[in-house]
Amino acid sequence: MLAGAGSLSGNSARSLTMTTAVVVSALMIVATGLLAGARPIAPDALLAALLAPDEKIDSIIVWVLRLPRSLVAYCAGAGLGVSGYLLQSLTRNPLAGPGTTGVTAGAVAPIVYCSVFLPWMSPQFYPIVGMLGGLTAALVTFWIARGGTGRPLHLALGGISVSLFLGALTTAILLASGPQAATLTFWLAGGFQGRSWIQLAFMVPWVIAGLGGALFCQRAVGLLSLSDEVAAGMGLRLTFWKPLLLFAAVLPVAGVAPVAGPVAFVGLVAPHIARLLKPEGPGWTIALSAALGGLMTASADIIARSVAAPQELPVGMVTALVGGPVFIYLVQRPGLAFNRGIGT
Amino acid sequence: MNTVLARRPTVPLWFWLGSIFFCFLSVLLSVFLGVADIPPADVIEALSGRGTAQAHSIIVDIRLPRIVTGILAGIHFAIAGLLLQTITRNPLADPSIMGISQGATLSVTLFLLFTVYLQEPGSNTLFALPLEWLPLVGMAGGVIAGGTIYALAFRRDLGPMRITLCGIAVGAVLHALAIGLIAGWGSARIEVLLEWLSGSLYARTWKHALFLSPFTFVGLLALPVFQRPLELLRFDAPVAQSFGLSYQRQFSIGLFLSCVLAASAVGVVGPIVFVGLIVPHLARYFCSRHTALVLPLTLTLGAIVITLGDLAGRLVGQVEEIPIGVVTAICGVPVLIALLRRIS
Repeated sequence: MLAGAGSLSGNSARSLTMTTAVVVSALMIVATGLLAGARPIAPDALLAALLAPDEKIDSIIVWVLRLPRSLVAYCAGAGLGVSGYLLQSLTRNPLAGPGTTGVTAGAVAPIVYCSVFLPWMSPQFYPIVGMLGGLTAALVTFWIARGGTGRPLHLALGGISVSLFLGALTTAILLASGPQAATLTFWLAGGFQGRSWIQLAFMVPWVIAGLGGALFCQRAVGLLSLSDEVAAGMGLRLTFWKPLLLFAAVLPVAGVAPVAGPVAFVGLVAPHIARLLKPEGPGWTIALSAALGGLMTASADIIARSVAAPQELPVGMVTALVGGPVFIYLVQRPGLAFNRGIGT
Repeated sequence: MNTVLARRPTVPLWFWLGSIFFCFLSVLLSVFLGVADIPPADVIEALSGRGTAQAHSIIVDIRLPRIVTGILAGIHFAIAGLLLQTITRNPLADPSIMGISQGATLSVTLFLLFTVYLQEPGSNTLFALPLEWLPLVGMAGGVIAGGTIYALAFRRDLGPMRITLCGIAVGAVLHALAIGLIAGWGSARIEVLLEWLSGSLYARTWKHALFLSPFTFVGLLALPVFQRPLELLRFDAPVAQSFGLSYQRQFSIGLFLSCVLAASAVGVVGPIVFVGLIVPHLARYFCSRHTALVLPLTLTLGAIVITLGDLAGRLVGQVEEIPIGVVTAICGVPVLIALLRRIS
C-alpha cells in the first residue's frame, strides 16, 4: 500500500510496514490499557510511574499488575497465532486451529489432571505435560480425519469429537477436585487475572521456540501449503517436515495453556486476518499472524478487565465474541465445500 | 427404495415385546444394584410399599426417579440424534456437535444467573433451583441456536456440510460464552453447575421427571405424523421434492422437533454427549434391512443405553459416582472414531 506493490522488495517493505504498524498499534493499545481498570490512572501519573518507578500505589499497579499482564496476553496471542497458521498450512484447511484440531483440549485435560491428582508436581512441568497431551490429541484428530487434508468438515468433526471427549473428562476431574473447582474453572475459561513477570518468563521460551521454529521452516511451510505432491516434487522430505511442523505448532500452545488456559478462536482467526492483508511469502505471514494474535488477546484482555470493573470477565469470552463471527463467516464462504488450497 | 416407501411401515408384535422386555430388564438391574447394598428381598418389600424407611427412601425416592429421568432423557437425545442425522444427511450429526446442546447450556446458565445467583451473591447455601422452568428455558435456548444455524446455512444452501459446519461454529461460540459466564460470576457453589454441565443424573427427583415428561409426550406424538417426511428427507432436495415433499418446511419441522427434544433434556440432565450420535447407528446396525424398525429401536436403545450407562457409572465410581456424560463420552469415542474413519 505504501511502497510500490509491484516489485519483490517493495512487497517485502510493505509487509514490514504492516507488521510494524500492527505491533505499534498493539503497544499503543497496551499503553492506553494501563490507564483503564478498577482504579483509573491519569496520563501524567502514568508517565511518572513508568519513567520513575517508586513504591507508590500507581507505580505498583502499573509495574506489577497491568504491564506484565498485558505483555503476557500479547505473548499468548502471538503464540496462538503462529500455532494456528502452522496448523492451517499443514492441513491446507481453513478451519484448522489449536481449538478445532483438539490441541488445546489435549493440552488442558492432562494439566487439570496433574493439578488435581498430582499436587506434588511443580507447575514447571505443566508445559511438557500439555505438549504431550496436545501432540497426542492432534495426532488422534489427524488420524481420524486421514491427515486432515481432505474436506474441512472431517477435520472439524474429528477435532470437535476429540474436544468433546476431553471436555467431558476435564469436567469429571473438576467435579472430583472439590474446592479447587472454582479457580480451575476460571482458568479453563481463559484469563490473565493476576499473571505477572514470572508467568511471562515461564511462557516466553515456548512461544519463541514456536515462532522461531516456524520462521526457520518457512520454506517448507510455503511448499506444504501448496500441496503434498508439489512439496515432495521440490525435494521436501514429507516424513521429516510434517511431524516437525506439527511439533512447532504444538509448542506455543503447550506454553500458553498452563498460564492462560484455552483462549478461544485467536489461533483460528489471526492467520486469516493476516492472509487478508496479503503479506509477502510465508515468513511475513507468520510474523503478521503472531503480531495480530497478540493484538487480539491484548485488546481482549483490556476489555475483559475494564468493562465490568472491578469484576473480571474471562478473556475467552471476549475473544469468542470477536472471533466467533469470523469463524462463522469462514464457514459461510462459498468455496469451502471444495478442497481448495489456502495459499499464503 | 420405492417399494419400501410405498409399503405402510408396520412394527411386528415380537419387536415390541422384545424391546419392552429388555427395557424392563435394564430397569430391574438398575433398581436392584447400587452403591448402597440392599438385599433383593428388601428391594421388593420397598417397592410394594412395606419394608424399612431407609430402603424405601433409597429405592423409591433416589433410584427410581433417576432411572425414570434417565429413560426420558435417553429417549430425547436418541430421537433428536436420529432426526438430525436424517435431515442433515450427515451420519455424524448430534445435538452436542451441532451446537443445540450448547445453546441450551447457555440459556440455562443465563437463566440461573439472573434468577438465582444474582439475588444471593456469595452465599454458601445450596439454592433451590427453579426446576419447573429448566426444560422450558433449555428448549428456548436450543431452538434459538437451531434457528440461528438454520438461518446461517439457509443463506447459501441447506447442504449437509454447510449446516454441520455452521452448527460447529455456533456451538463453539455459545460454549465459550457459557463457560465464561460460569467462571465469571465466581459463585462458591460452582460444582452444582459443573455437575450439571458434565451431564449427570445425580440427585434427580420425581419433579425432574415430571417436568420433562410433557416434552417427551409432545415429541413422541409428533413422530408418527412426521414418519413419512422423515423417510423422504434422507434424499437430496430435488429427489424429495419430486415425491411431493415441501422440503424446506419439513426440514425446519424436523430441526425444530430435534431442538425441542434435545434442549429440554439438556435443561434437566445437562448435555449428555454422543448418545444422540451413537444410538441411531446401533439401531441401524441391529435392524439392517427393516427400516421401519429403526425409529422404535432408537427410542428403546436410547432408554436402555442411559439406564445401563448410569448404572455402570454408579457401580464403578462407588460413592464418587462417574457422571453419565463421562460414561457416554468414554464409550462413544471408539464408535465415533470408527464412523469417522469410514466416511473420510
